Amino acid sequence: MPHGAVADPDEGQVDQLYAETRQLRLQGFLLFLVSDVVLFSSFIFAYLYLRNTLPAWPPPGINRLDVGFAAFNSVVLFGSGVTMHYALESWKHGKFARYANFLIATIVLGAAFLAGQGYEYTNLYMREHVSWSGSGAFGASFFTLTGMHGFHVFVGVCYLTVLLLQSCAGVYTKEKYFGLTAGTLYWHFVDVIWVVLFSIFYLI
Amino acid sequence: MAVQAAHAGGGIADHIHPEPQGFIRRYVFSIDHKIIGIQYMITGFVFFILSGLLAETIRVQLMNHAGGFVSNDTYNEVYTVHGSAMVWLVIIPIVTGGFGNFVMPLQIGARDVAFPWLNMLSFWMFPVAGLLLFSSFLVGAPVAGWTEYPPISLEGGVGTSMWCAAIFLIGVSSTLTGINFIVTIMQMRAPGMTFTRMPLFVWAQLATAPLSMVATTALAAALAALFIERQFGVPFYDPTKGGSPVLWQHMFWFYSHPAVYIMVLPVFGIVSEILPTFSRKPIFGYKMIAFSSMAIALVGFMVWAHHMFTSGLAPYLQLPFMILTYVVAVPTGVKIFSWLATLWGGKIHLTTAMLFALGFLALFTLGGITGIFLAAIPYDLHIHGTYFVVGHFHYVLVGGSLTGIFAGIYYWFPKMSGRMMNETLGKWNFALFFIGFNGTFLPMHWLGILGMPRWVPQYDPQFEFWNRFASVSSFVMTFGILLFFVNVIWSLRNGKKAGANPWGARTLEWQLPSPPHYYNFKHIPNVYGLPYDFSLPLPYKGLDEELTDSPAPVPAGSH
Repeated sequence: MPHGAVADPDEGQVDQLYAETRQLRLQGFLLFLVSDVVLFSSFIFAYLYLRNTLPAWPPPGINRLDVGFAAFNSVVLFGSGVTMHYALESWKHGKFARYANFLIATIVLGAAFLAGQGYEYTNLYMREHVSWSGSGAFGASFFTLTGMHGFHVFVGVCYLTVLLLQSCAGVYTKEKYFGLTAGTLYWHFVDVIWVVLFSIFYLI
Repeated sequence: MAVQAAHAGGGIADHIHPEPQGFIRRYVFSIDHKIIGIQYMITGFVFFILSGLLAETIRVQLMNHAGGFVSNDTYNEVYTVHGSAMVWLVIIPIVTGGFGNFVMPLQIGARDVAFPWLNMLSFWMFPVAGLLLFSSFLVGAPVAGWTEYPPISLEGGVGTSMWCAAIFLIGVSSTLTGINFIVTIMQMRAPGMTFTRMPLFVWAQLATAPLSMVATTALAAALAALFIERQFGVPFYDPTKGGSPVLWQHMFWFYSHPAVYIMVLPVFGIVSEILPTFSRKPIFGYKMIAFSSMAIALVGFMVWAHHMFTSGLAPYLQLPFMILTYVVAVPTGVKIFSWLATLWGGKIHLTTAMLFALGFLALFTLGGITGIFLAAIPYDLHIHGTYFVVGHFHYVLVGGSLTGIFAGIYYWFPKMSGRMMNETLGKWNFALFFIGFNGTFLPMHWLGILGMPRWVPQYDPQFEFWNRFASVSSFVMTFGILLFFVNVIWSLRNGKKAGANPWGARTLEWQLPSPPHYYNFKHIPNVYGLPYDFSLPLPYKGLDEELTDSPAPVPAGSH
């Protein structure tokens, strides 16, 4: 509740209040995700627009991106989406240990994805000499969009870690776990964005 | 006792937080939507004075065809900051953050917006953004006009990057306010207030909020890319490095055309409240006005490239944008005719608020009609980049939005302050503003048709007479606006006590004391109908105690 915690009115009222504020926060959070989608869409539009102005893609002198490694890395990220789903389901069923294991798995997989992306960046920069500012529209759009996505994953990993600590400290209960819902939604959102980015950068 | 308040009315809207004590928490870092609304207005008007001074600098420079008042470089900085500040620091914050915050929660019978802390955060980004923009003068302000087209905007010093950061910040603030307002209107209406019983001002805010949210985020992307390109040399817009300057135009106008509706839809809402109140007649075509706001918001997203007819778009792309721009005129026309029909046969009270609302009708219609001219591709090719365009958008933004803002202030000032504004001063304010405005901006239309380009510090001597005419008129307009500020300050101290409902208006905010209490409503009312049926009893129940001395509701958890 943005108004601060309610001290101790009778239980029924607190539950009522919780249900209603949860509704508000859920809607607000979904709208935040919508605006984030718009942010990504704008950069994706910029990428497709720039790509369309050039006669060939990738521009001469730059190799096609390596699909193999990125596909492996994508599987890692999608796997983390699955574990996140089971983490939330376990929480709803009151199985705390299962929940904690799945959440830790999600965090590890998310971090692994980031490491994979770091590896890919290094590879592109050292071997292929593709850089953010020195490779025309290719470098600009690829590193900006995947970097933005990577930043979202990084924020997600931090957020999930906070959620893990919070749930260990007893902030959430079996009935009241809006933070976990928000974390799950956010994590799936990051997954879906990656599906789009993977398709437009590696597949087409 | 805590429970009693929560059971009286409508759930979440009924939860109260305790009133903060101390000046800082009450008036500076306040989470009360009414205080935040007034903060937006005061800050907005401070920036209005600053960018108004810049406007007068432009007019003084153009008194003489050879210029000479400021240097050419300074002139570029002046019109760039004038435009940017008027759009992002004056009109948008006042009509959404200002009026939206103060009026909307009261009109839907809520105690606050959905996320009060977020609301405070949104507000405080606004003065920071303003300071950032104006302080760019110290290091060399941006010079490429408020649209900041590359490649010019890629050159120059750090000032343009500060511009990016400032507009980005105000954009984030706008997005957060949009989210906040959508959730508030969707979730926190008083019991019985269905969508088709909402006041039209609330409808206008509901149409505006998604625009602030979606369009502004797209602008944020464009600004981020410009900033990255300027600071780190990453090519998005520079054609010599593989970017495209037209990309910026697409991204910028994808925001900035909806931004026109962000600036004008809330004002449609203000006018839709004022006209029925002072005609003593139900608003004509309530649903048509409400839904046409939504239609404008939707179609407004599909017309951006009509700003780019001279940028080399393929003709088959230009045509749909021309047609869709004409389509926007249909819901706008529906509104104009509904307002005229509201006036028809009404018992019209020519208060200052009403005068400004009528002035809005006339001026905005003119601005809309010249917009139709501009949407026609062949005509646009002739007058693109001339003073015709300047005249057109000043009729929309000054004649439309700013006139509506004045109308709204004259209308709601008694509710905000508890005192009436001076009507004599107000009428002088209106007359001088209206005459001065037309004298300033009407000649720009024929100056533009004759070929006077915008954004130039010197011009052909044949245009000198009408430029001097415009400049002198602008002094009259400025004097009129000065009277407005005199009126506000005078009325705050000496205005007649307003009482709860000086205009006999019927929306919920007028059923409360002026100014309303911190918690707005002692009991959340039930709503049974539209607020515009002047012949019927008020459609509310549960308001009996609002104007009595009965005790205030007790905040939850404070017993």
